[in-house]
Amino acid sequence: MDLSRYAALFLTESREQLGACGQALLEWERQPAALEPVVGLYRAMHTFKGMAAAMGYSNLTELAHRSESVLDLLRSDPAAGRELIDLFFRVVDGLEQGAAVAVEGGDPGLDFTPLLAELDEASVAAAPTGSWAIPAPTIAAPAEAARPAREVRVVIRPDAAMRGARALIALRKAESLGTVRAVRPAVTAFDQDGFDGRFGFALVSDAPEAEIVAAILTAGDVQTIEFSAGEATGRTGAAVERSRQIRIDLRRLDAMMNRVGELVVARGRLLELAEQSDSPELKAVAARIGRVTSDLHGEVTQARLTPVWQVFDRFPRVVRDLARQLGKRVRFEVEGEDTQLDRALLDDLGEPLIHLLRNAVDHGIEAPTVRQRQGKPEEGLIRVSATSDRSTVLIRVSDDGAGVDRGAVLAMAVKRGLLPPETADLTDEALLRILARPGFSTAQVVTDISGRGMGMDAVMSRLRSIGGGVDISTTPGRGSEFTLRLPMTLAIVRVLLARVGTERYAIPLSGIAETVDYHSDRVASLEGREAYILRERLVPTVRLREHLGARGQRPPGRSPAVIVEVGDRRVVVVVDAVLGQQEIVVEPFDAPKGMLPVFSGATILGDGVPALIVDPAALV
Amino acid sequence: MSQTVLVCDDAIFMRTMITDILQQAGFEVVGEAETGREAVEKYRALKPDLVTMDIVMPDMGGIEAVREICKEAPEARILMCSAMGQQALVVEAIQAGAKDFVVKPFQPSRVLEAVQRVLG
Repeated sequence: MDLSRYAALFLTESREQLGACGQALLEWERQPAALEPVVGLYRAMHTFKGMAAAMGYSNLTELAHRSESVLDLLRSDPAAGRELIDLFFRVVDGLEQGAAVAVEGGDPGLDFTPLLAELDEASVAAAPTGSWAIPAPTIAAPAEAARPAREVRVVIRPDAAMRGARALIALRKAESLGTVRAVRPAVTAFDQDGFDGRFGFALVSDAPEAEIVAAILTAGDVQTIEFSAGEATGRTGAAVERSRQIRIDLRRLDAMMNRVGELVVARGRLLELAEQSDSPELKAVAARIGRVTSDLHGEVTQARLTPVWQVFDRFPRVVRDLARQLGKRVRFEVEGEDTQLDRALLDDLGEPLIHLLRNAVDHGIEAPTVRQRQGKPEEGLIRVSATSDRSTVLIRVSDDGAGVDRGAVLAMAVKRGLLPPETADLTDEALLRILARPGFSTAQVVTDISGRGMGMDAVMSRLRSIGGGVDISTTPGRGSEFTLRLPMTLAIVRVLLARVGTERYAIPLSGIAETVDYHSDRVASLEGREAYILRERLVPTVRLREHLGARGQRPPGRSPAVIVEVGDRRVVVVVDAVLGQQEIVVEPFDAPKGMLPVFSGATILGDGVPALIVDPAALV
Repeated sequence: MSQTVLVCDDAIFMRTMITDILQQAGFEVVGEAETGREAVEKYRALKPDLVTMDIVMPDMGGIEAVREICKEAPEARILMCSAMGQQALVVEAIQAGAKDFVVKPFQPSRVLEAVQRVLG
């Protein structure tokens, strides 16, 4: 049998399992005496071993197997294994890196000797006890890997008493039919007040869906059971919704999205042409193609929605490692990990969010002794939450640490010439712009962990180009909160098209306050720069023609101007002509070296000619 | 032959009430226990089909008793009786091996539904 065709699937599934291992380890570290995390770790390790064995990756299998044996010994006294948590973290790292090597055919070259030696030592130290309470791991592992893993989502009736306990019973019922893993939220969240009775898990079982439904229903108070990765909705009765799932390579989905984007643009052109024609048949066909294109765009967009936990899952580990490294004590909470977001956006968010988390641990959360002196709990709190309404997703990163010292930032910004010396105080908007500058840090010592401000400014400009943004709120001594506002999908953005010379530029409507005629009798001067009197207030002027170094002469007569507004800052942008509004599809854009940092993206207009998207924040 | 029940609660009132509900539904209450320790001992002696277990009891609580009983008899069918606000304890009891739970105040129909689920 040719196993290579299963390699991609193996990689995806093994990441899930190893992710579960990481979660269990974090939980174990928090509650060293609890059995549940060790059982969870054991299970995930066991499943991974089964998959690796099925693929014939003997070195990976060996490492997983030896880990499993040590875990088996720890079952009677999890607390005795607390010294081994770090070792297991390293094992999980080793397996993760090893899995990536193995799928490229590199398993025979993997050498885990040092880890295996440590595991051997550990197994000698752990007292041998009885066997597992969970079904004995029969090494029919290849079969297990081949069995289907189904995504099951269960909703407990909202009026049920103790939904968390009920959910746990439902989970037990599912476990009677096969292997349960990747429980979301984690079982430890079930008895928390915020648990709303919705949970999901992957079930590896041969049982038909009807049997699974019947088993879970016997838990009582079950409202719905769905076999789907989608959001469970509150339906009445024990209605069972099923949808068939297939895995699609992301690249294929990206390609589809690009084609649909082109189709949307072509539709725009077609509708223009139909408008100019007097053929009623052409008009009808164009309208129909227009509608179908919209529907298709909606469907593809929907298919790209991905739950944010796929990116959030690695955060607990990042925070943990960093906190240990810096001698901080941090409790990390994640909320709303089922919130959905366009896959492409989600991928872009990983790094910036980790940057924010690093800053929170490094600069936000104080050392335990400092916190104690200030009457705060020694353990700091960092929380990442995702919420969404119809079209917007909000991702918040908050901490209960020291907050940003505005005085220090202001002083540093003035010293570096980023702000005029007489600046008295910093607005949130100004603060954010300064913090986002590459290389800006007030940290006394620039650690190798954060303080490099990388990427934040890039994220802000990317978010603005798609109609989103970043907000900060910070209180000294109480903590900081960063809020990322994003559109749920990379849908079409509405822009104002303006012409300068022969080029057309797109300015996102979200950054525009109004358009006005630029009257020469209202031109004034502000700090030596041209400014414009707009309703008795002086607003700086940017002449886009000069700003961009466009060739040719400005057309005679009055010029139109666009009032661009970002946060509390405005500028009057003078252009040659305002061409009207249009919907555009934002294309990724790497600015060529040497180009002014004015553009955040590019697009193809209805007539097939490309246009650059102006970043409003780069003008103000 | 009717199914047998061991009722464990430190309050006579609660024992009486549960006993009434179960007897009216045709169950035979073969024993009562006031403490966790007593519950374990009586389970051993009586091997009932069902145990109702209060969470908070003197001399070994209900959860500890569940753990003890399930250690000896993993097949034991234990129904936890809990009050509002004890969710964390109920979760712990389920992890220890309890099969289901009811929440006070008891409604006979709810109790019997839970019993059916446990015995089903």
